Parts: sequence; structure tokens; C-alpha cells
Amino acid sequence: MSALVSTPRRAPRIGLKQIALGVLLVGLGAVAALAMVREGRRATAPVSNSATLEGGAFAGHPQRAALTPEEENYAAALWPIHAQIKTSAVQMTFAGLSYKMGDIDRTAMKDRVAPLTKVFRDARSEASRLEVPASLQKQHEQFLGALKLYEAASVEMVKIARDGKEEHLVEAQKMSYAASEDTLRVGDALWPGEYKPN
Amino acid sequence: MKKLVGAVTIALAAYGALGAATAQAQNCSVWLVESSRFMNVPFGAFMPDRAYVPGSNSPNNSINTVDLPVNVGVIKCGKELILYDSGWKQTDYFKMTGTEHAAPLPDQLKMLGFSANDVTKIVVGHGHWDHAGQLMDFPNAVLYIQKEELKGIEWALNYPNQRISAVNTSPGGCMRTPACGYPPKTLDEIYGKVLSGKAVLVEGEMEVIPGVKIHPAFRAHTAGSQLLEVPTSIGKLVFGSDAYSSWEAIRDWMIANPQQTDTVQQFLAYEKCYKITGGYQNCVAAHEPLSYTDKYPLTKNSWIGINGSRMAEIALASGERSRKP
Repeated sequence: MSALVSTPRRAPRIGLKQIALGVLLVGLGAVAALAMVREGRRATAPVSNSATLEGGAFAGHPQRAALTPEEENYAAALWPIHAQIKTSAVQMTFAGLSYKMGDIDRTAMKDRVAPLTKVFRDARSEASRLEVPASLQKQHEQFLGALKLYEAASVEMVKIARDGKEEHLVEAQKMSYAASEDTLRVGDALWPGEYKPN
Repeated sequence: MKKLVGAVTIALAAYGALGAATAQAQNCSVWLVESSRFMNVPFGAFMPDRAYVPGSNSPNNSINTVDLPVNVGVIKCGKELILYDSGWKQTDYFKMTGTEHAAPLPDQLKMLGFSANDVTKIVVGHGHWDHAGQLMDFPNAVLYIQKEELKGIEWALNYPNQRISAVNTSPGGCMRTPACGYPPKTLDEIYGKVLSGKAVLVEGEMEVIPGVKIHPAFRAHTAGSQLLEVPTSIGKLVFGSDAYSSWEAIRDWMIANPQQTDTVQQFLAYEKCYKITGGYQNCVAAHEPLSYTDKYPLTKNSWIGINGSRMAEIALASGERSRKP
């Protein structure tokens, strides 16, 4: 309620206090301008994995260097590929899980996994056509490498349909796991808020 | 439940049944370990009923942000060393914005005098990345996860509407879809346990060892959430992972951390703890902000461990030495 209470108006009068306040405001403005210039410089710096990550996950105030417009464009273009790949990777894992749980036989597993080889290959082809800022070349290579690993994992997995040897699944899981780590590395640079506390 | 995993499950279930027939339930020793802490989380995002209202004098609405620990239970019953949840491992590439005091679980166990190789079983309350990580760091441990949890993920993953199926739906944010919270890496770790023959896909209730019981709490946080009942010298404890995200929520009957939660099922999971333990004091919460303080009495016997993470000694079985420095 107090905010609604009005106070009588007084005629404006410029005194020492007001002058001091004015000087203070000008000073603050200068500091803010300087900070903006500095931030502008920081924004053009390459994104690195060692960027400071502070602030609450829910709070929405991560304190890290912003991506440049070129980097933003790259991140935005890569996102749908990344999202598709995550889903496909999990589908591949679940094909293996379903087989191990006895819910499907190895032929059915092959039917589920074999199409994913093309998905990973096409994704790599699509990603390799993206315009990559020099500052994100490392992440780009990591992402392409991860796609190659996923593709190789899918090829390895379907071999079990031929000879029934479970070593293929173990080998494929190792590749898939390594790929999942690499996509996290890329995600850490491009989409730091990708995963939330659950 | 067929083939290899089924065989593992059946074999272990049979072993459990045999054990139950020949061995008496014994009291277990229990510690709580903070895997990491999510800092400055708006209270209302964690518990809607506790949302901050500027200027409010209500104790329920006067706290702006809270720090959420990620708690892991360490349970020693005779020669069995059981983890309830396995936290997550912070790495150079997976830091999780807003996290502090992260520490690798094997190193934390070392502080308690255990080796990662000593861990015989890991019961995960659910499969989210911050509760089912680090599995590969415990090579001898058998993983216990509800089959319903895996079915729930797969169902969401294959659902035709992307609002449901998406692992993550937009840059910079996981939108709480049912498939959200399960990164490929976490699922590959679970799959790795299955491949190595060290996984039990639990279907509903199960006695892991005499007196230590899994209770299903389906949809109390995720599709296949599960609780763990543990007998101790201070009475029975019930671990709840994110079905029991907040101990205050159990005490005050409020929902907490509502992700893919059916809130009625979450309340039924709370009720389970009341029924098993006779109240709310012995319910062990995964993210209770008051953990390791006098305000959450069960966890007050605490100390600081690696990287500022905290630990608590909850109960000691007869003859068990204290691990508190």
C-alpha cells in the first residue's frame, strides 16, 4: 500500500546534493560505457572450454563470454543436427538394450540400427557443409569425429546379425560412448545450458 | 525378461531369495555424500509452493534462491557396499553451469575408507544424468534399475510428437520433455553395465539383500523411479532420489522438482516413507537444501570433504567404526 501513498510536490531546487549526484551519475555512466567496450572485446574472443561457468542453472545468468554473431550462426545451424544425432544415438543404445533384454532378436536389432548408419553419415555430410568460424574449428572437428564414431558404431553393431558375436556390441558401445563424450565437449562450448539439474 | 540380462536378473533374484531364506536382515551403516551442488536455484523453480515473494513475511515465500546438493547414499551391510544413486562426474567438457563443490565419487569413497572396487551394488533411484553417472568407475558393481525406467525413456523417444520425444528441444534449454535428462553418455553407461552382465532390470519390488528392499515409485519423478528401504540402528531409512527431492517437501506435503512427475505418485512415495519409517525424519532426500545441517537432523553429523563437498554419517551398525574425521 505504501507505494500508492502520494507526497506533496515541492518546487525543484538545485543544490550541492543534486550536483554531487549528477557527478556520480556521469561517473557511473563512464564506467558502464567502459565495461560495454570491454564486453564487446570479450565477445569476439574465441570460445574456450575453460570459460568461466558461474551462476545458477535455473537462474539464467551464466557468466561466460558470449558467442560472436558468426559463432551464434554456426551454433544455431548445428543445433538441429546435434538434436537429431542425440536422438539417433539413444535409439542405437536402446536397440542394443532391447536385444540384450530379449525383447528383440538380432535381426530385428539390425533392422533398427542399420538405417541409423545413413542418418549419421548424412548428418556428417550436412555438418561438413556448414560455415565454420575459425574460433570453432576445433569443436567442428570434434563434432565430425563424433559422427564418424557413431557411424562406425552402427556398422559394428549390425555385424552381430551375421555371426552372433557379442563382441561387436561391446566394441560399438565403446565407440558410441567416446562419441557421446565428444558431443558433450562441443555442447559445452556451444550450448552450455543444454542439460539442467534433474 | 529373457536371454542374458534376464538370466542375470533371474540368477541374482534367485540368489537374493536364497539369501533371504538363509540370512537374517542385518542393520546397515549409512553415509551420505554430496556429489556436487547446484547453486543459486530459484526456490520456486525447485518447489512451486516455496516461490519467492518479495516482501513476504511467510517463511514459505521469503527465500529467493537455494543451493541444491546432489546426494548419494553409501550403504554398508556386512560385506555388501551399496550405493543409492551414483551422482555425476564433472569433467572439463561437462561442467554443468552453476555447479560447485563437485567431486568424483571414487575419491569421496576413499575418504570414507572404501575403494571404488568395493562397491558391490548400485541402486539408481532413476536414470537421469545427475543420479546415474560414473557407473563405469565402479567395475564390480551390479546396477539395479527398473525396467519401467528404460521403457519410459524408449516410449518418449519414439513418440511421434517432438514435444514429447525430444531429448532436448531448443538451444540452451532442456524443456522438461519426458526424454529430457538422459544424455547419450548416461544411457551408454547403463548399457555398458548391461553388456558386461552387471545389471539387474528390476520389475517392481525386490529385496536386494535381506532387509534392503527396492520399492517401485513409478512416475513419482520419472517413469521408473524406485525407493530403497534400509534397516539401520536408528530405524528404517528410505532413500528416494528425486521422488524425494526435498525433505521439507515430504514433511510439509509439497511437490518438489516436478520434472516428468505425476504429483499424486510423488505424494504416494512420500506416504510410503511415512508408512515404512513411521514418519518423515528418516526419509533421505536427494536435493534437500538443508542437507548436512541441524535443520535436517538425519544429516546433521556432517563434515567437509573434497572440494568443499559435504558428507554425513547417518547410522552405524554394531561394530562399525565411525568414518568421521
